[in-house]
Amino acid sequence: MSGSDTLTRLRYRYLPDHLVGEILSKRWIDNAVPFVALVVLVAVFGIISPDFLSVSSITDLGRQIAEFGLVVLGLSIVLMSGGIDLSVASVFTLAVLASLIGTNVENLSIPLTCALVVAMGVACGAINGFLVGYLRLRAFLTTLVTLIIFRSIYDILFLKMSTAIVAGFSDSDLLLFIGSGTILGVPFSLWVALAIAIGWHIVLSRMRPGWRLTAVGGARRSAYNAGINVRRTVFSAYVWSGALSALAGFLFAARIGSTGADTGVGLEVSALTAAVLGGNSLGGGRGSVAKAAMGALFVLILSNNLTNFGVSGPVNSTILGCVLIASVFVDMRWLRNRHKWLSKMYVSPAYLSLPAPPSATDPKSPFALNDRLRSVEIIGLGAIDGPEDVILDREDNLYCGTRHGDIVRFFGPDHQRHEVFAHIGGHPLGMQFDREGNLLVCIGGMGLYQVTPKQEVAKLTDETNRSFLSVVDDSRLRLADDLDIAPDGRVYFSEATVRYEQEEWATDALESRGNGRIILYDPRTGTTRTEIHRRVFPNGVCMANDGQSFFFAESWIAAIQRYYFDGPKKGTIETVISNLPGYPDNINRASDGHYWVALLGMRTPALDLALSMPGFRRRMAKRVAPDLWLYPNINTGCVVKFDEQGNILDALWDLGGQNHPMITSMREHRGYLYLGGVSNNRIGRYKLPDADPNWCAEDFYWGARK
Amino acid sequence: MIQLLKRLYADFRGFDEVGSTVPMMDGPLKPNTALDAAPVVARVPEIDNLAATPGGLVASRGADLLALAPQSGGTLAAEVRQTLPAPIACLAADGEGALAIGLDGQGVTIRGGRHDGAAIADLGGGQALRSPTAALFLGPDTLVVANGAADAPAADWKRDLMNRRSSGSVWSIALGGGAPRATQLARNLAFPYGLALGRDGTLLVSEAWRHRVVAIDPAAPKPPRAVLADLPAYPCRIAPAEGGYWLALFAPRNQLVEFVLREEGYRRRMVSTIDPAYWIAPALSSGASFLEPIQGGARKKLNMLKPWSPSWSYGLVVRCDPAMRPVASFHSRADGSIHGVTSLAEAGGTLLVGAKGSGAVVALDAQAASGEIEP
Repeated sequence: MSGSDTLTRLRYRYLPDHLVGEILSKRWIDNAVPFVALVVLVAVFGIISPDFLSVSSITDLGRQIAEFGLVVLGLSIVLMSGGIDLSVASVFTLAVLASLIGTNVENLSIPLTCALVVAMGVACGAINGFLVGYLRLRAFLTTLVTLIIFRSIYDILFLKMSTAIVAGFSDSDLLLFIGSGTILGVPFSLWVALAIAIGWHIVLSRMRPGWRLTAVGGARRSAYNAGINVRRTVFSAYVWSGALSALAGFLFAARIGSTGADTGVGLEVSALTAAVLGGNSLGGGRGSVAKAAMGALFVLILSNNLTNFGVSGPVNSTILGCVLIASVFVDMRWLRNRHKWLSKMYVSPAYLSLPAPPSATDPKSPFALNDRLRSVEIIGLGAIDGPEDVILDREDNLYCGTRHGDIVRFFGPDHQRHEVFAHIGGHPLGMQFDREGNLLVCIGGMGLYQVTPKQEVAKLTDETNRSFLSVVDDSRLRLADDLDIAPDGRVYFSEATVRYEQEEWATDALESRGNGRIILYDPRTGTTRTEIHRRVFPNGVCMANDGQSFFFAESWIAAIQRYYFDGPKKGTIETVISNLPGYPDNINRASDGHYWVALLGMRTPALDLALSMPGFRRRMAKRVAPDLWLYPNINTGCVVKFDEQGNILDALWDLGGQNHPMITSMREHRGYLYLGGVSNNRIGRYKLPDADPNWCAEDFYWGARK
Repeated sequence: MIQLLKRLYADFRGFDEVGSTVPMMDGPLKPNTALDAAPVVARVPEIDNLAATPGGLVASRGADLLALAPQSGGTLAAEVRQTLPAPIACLAADGEGALAIGLDGQGVTIRGGRHDGAAIADLGGGQALRSPTAALFLGPDTLVVANGAADAPAADWKRDLMNRRSSGSVWSIALGGGAPRATQLARNLAFPYGLALGRDGTLLVSEAWRHRVVAIDPAAPKPPRAVLADLPAYPCRIAPAEGGYWLALFAPRNQLVEFVLREEGYRRRMVSTIDPAYWIAPALSSGASFLEPIQGGARKKLNMLKPWSPSWSYGLVVRCDPAMRPVASFHSRADGSIHGVTSLAEAGGTLLVGAKGSGAVVALDAQAASGEIEP
């Protein structure tokens, strides 16, 4: 190995560049830009503004953020639902006036005033919501009109009531506490705002109403088709916006105790700036409480400090307007380009150097080419799509999965008739019968399922323990692909990769990193945990005859391993075969005590070379269209028989793949070998010349049925 | 320096530099299955260099010179007329009995006619005619020869492409009176692989690795002028037709190949360590061995290779007007079986298409095929 190769190997082992793509694919990455902006802003003002971090300044900021934050939150909720609410500022101002009338003029009790003010906000929001949600008017124009109307009402009332407000006075301690009291040093109003924010965070991220809201904002028609009451959802968003703005107005009134002609002027622009700056998309469907809070903090800190530095109001507004334009621009670019960056960044190849494969063209090689599989009989041609694995029961019925999410049963002994044995929904991959005759099946994208002989489907497991420090959520099973059952009933199954979904499985070959794992499901306790980590496309789990170990294939490194889960060698992994000429897939028992393994595709020199040049593959993934990427040659496959020592005993080929291209699985049953392929439309049946014609895998492993 | 910066910026942004994008097959080049639908008139492995002579149709298979004679059923019977000391790289007839035979790695020899037995191996100035990829008689005493590469035989074309060479040249050889004298007409061409006489006395040369056809003036040395550029495949032989030309394109361009051509490190290691048959490179035929690389779109689904799959080989014949603009095309797509067309000959109203990659000759009705064809 040359020096530069060593460097490449070390660089790709210790620099985890696959994390970049994984982080980019996280939803919270949207918050990165506003968060960084906020940190920079705080740092800048912390340095240039001497009393920026003083207690009084922070307490004051806390009160303001409580009021302003509630308005921004209300607006953000409307933005998430796909609308816009320009009237928040007018509702806020109206609420300030209403609070003062309640406390100073009418001398109502504080809780009653608060309730009435919020009710008024709800009413204002309901007007907006009715117009926009039910009458389907344009949100922008409608709320622009209500902004003017509410503001006019304020102006009219203010003229009439201003003298009475100034003359009146509230001596309520409660109002004083709401306005300027603190709990544990934190202003009361901030506690209120925090409680509401946390509540909304839970609603938006964990509860149905929040998900419905984002669904409506993200894709209105799809939400409607999914059965969501779109009009009511939109209506309620405006109601919440009105209520939160009114509450903010009440808090403001409690703090300041007066109002003026300029109260709330320009608040809608600041609130909109804050909401968009935080990352709430103007297009709807994307937003969170954290985004609203970050945006509110940013805008408030910026405008407060600008005021402190003596920047005049109009200039301050201009700066805020520029910030709004800039954040709309960034939001647009980000939204448009994130998936592009992601698709370019996600594929992250690792270094893999394989020795030259054994030649299959040499007639003396154990892999020597032949045409024996060209004569296979074909079962179910055109009736099935994608039988990754096939299995036979004691009654000679043949089972296979299809891409449509069915398990299809062909009735023995001639396999001419078939029925849908069970519909599960995901593509069934590896299958195995347990002691009771239940069919256990790994489903791509779903997990481990069980189908009883009475055709009842039950989920066994779809998650495992999340590994520490993983960025992708690896607790969900993305691509469970083959299983076998230990004599005591424990189920060992493989998950080929945690980074790709079912349909993109071959792209994992471009990475050739240990993205997969072996997982143990224990039916006695119902627990699932990851047994072996970081394996390269593990596959083909098959119990060895000793009952305390199993074989599994690591496809992209062309190797077969043996893992001991019991006995003296417990916990160790031995390499049984390395450097196969192709990529091993499912492994199953043969009637003579040995094992069959399917090679799902063949290694090509061009790809083997590319595997040792990760930079080449990474650039290829960025520059070349996915359909033109270099892939493992999965158009040709073969079946190989091996023994426990790793000797190759036999190889069955269909050269050119005319009858049976790509083999991912094979089962021996009563003298025949049945062949499945994940992108085939048929099952092959090959007569084994010298196999036991009465051998049944289920009887062999579990014993004959009593 | 600016080029380097541009290259780095293109790498960073992930777009292609100008000139390395593969054009779509569209307009007159819209794919069809005309070559697969055409009748196969002969099956000869490695058939190449179809040429019409007064004595009938000739062709080559390795070092064998073949005569193709019509037989019953409309097919052609191949008969070995002569075996030459080296693989035949090109054939050209002057229409009066002389036949110029390009011997790969050795030069050109003339059989029959006035200059029977003349041989051209040395081009003067220390240059040898190693790679006679095409020849054309301009008159009974003037032969134009394309030397595909200065230092490698024509059979090594794949290496020439993947090493990004452009050492080809075109020569005019005066045969009359004494020893042949060679004059260079153009040089630094990227594998000239076909010759034809243009309308205005210019020479049309297909420059394979630059995916274009250029015109050169044999009288006045000027830089070559592109008459047909940005082809989606690598052009080779040009055959004159009534009111235009036939152009054979022997292999498709592929985005992955263009990418590998820019990837110095990978390309160098591939060229030095892997058998050329298994390179990421265009080919005359493909799919025969599982050691060939495949691309994502070429994975079989439901036991089918889709016609639009990316492929290393393809079959393509283009009909051009007198100004060398394409007007119609005849394809054999990724799933087709007439790949690697290297030679064309029009005889008796029939265009014979020699697919070296698939070892087959198919016949197209030249009259019906000369205009727009219905999709």
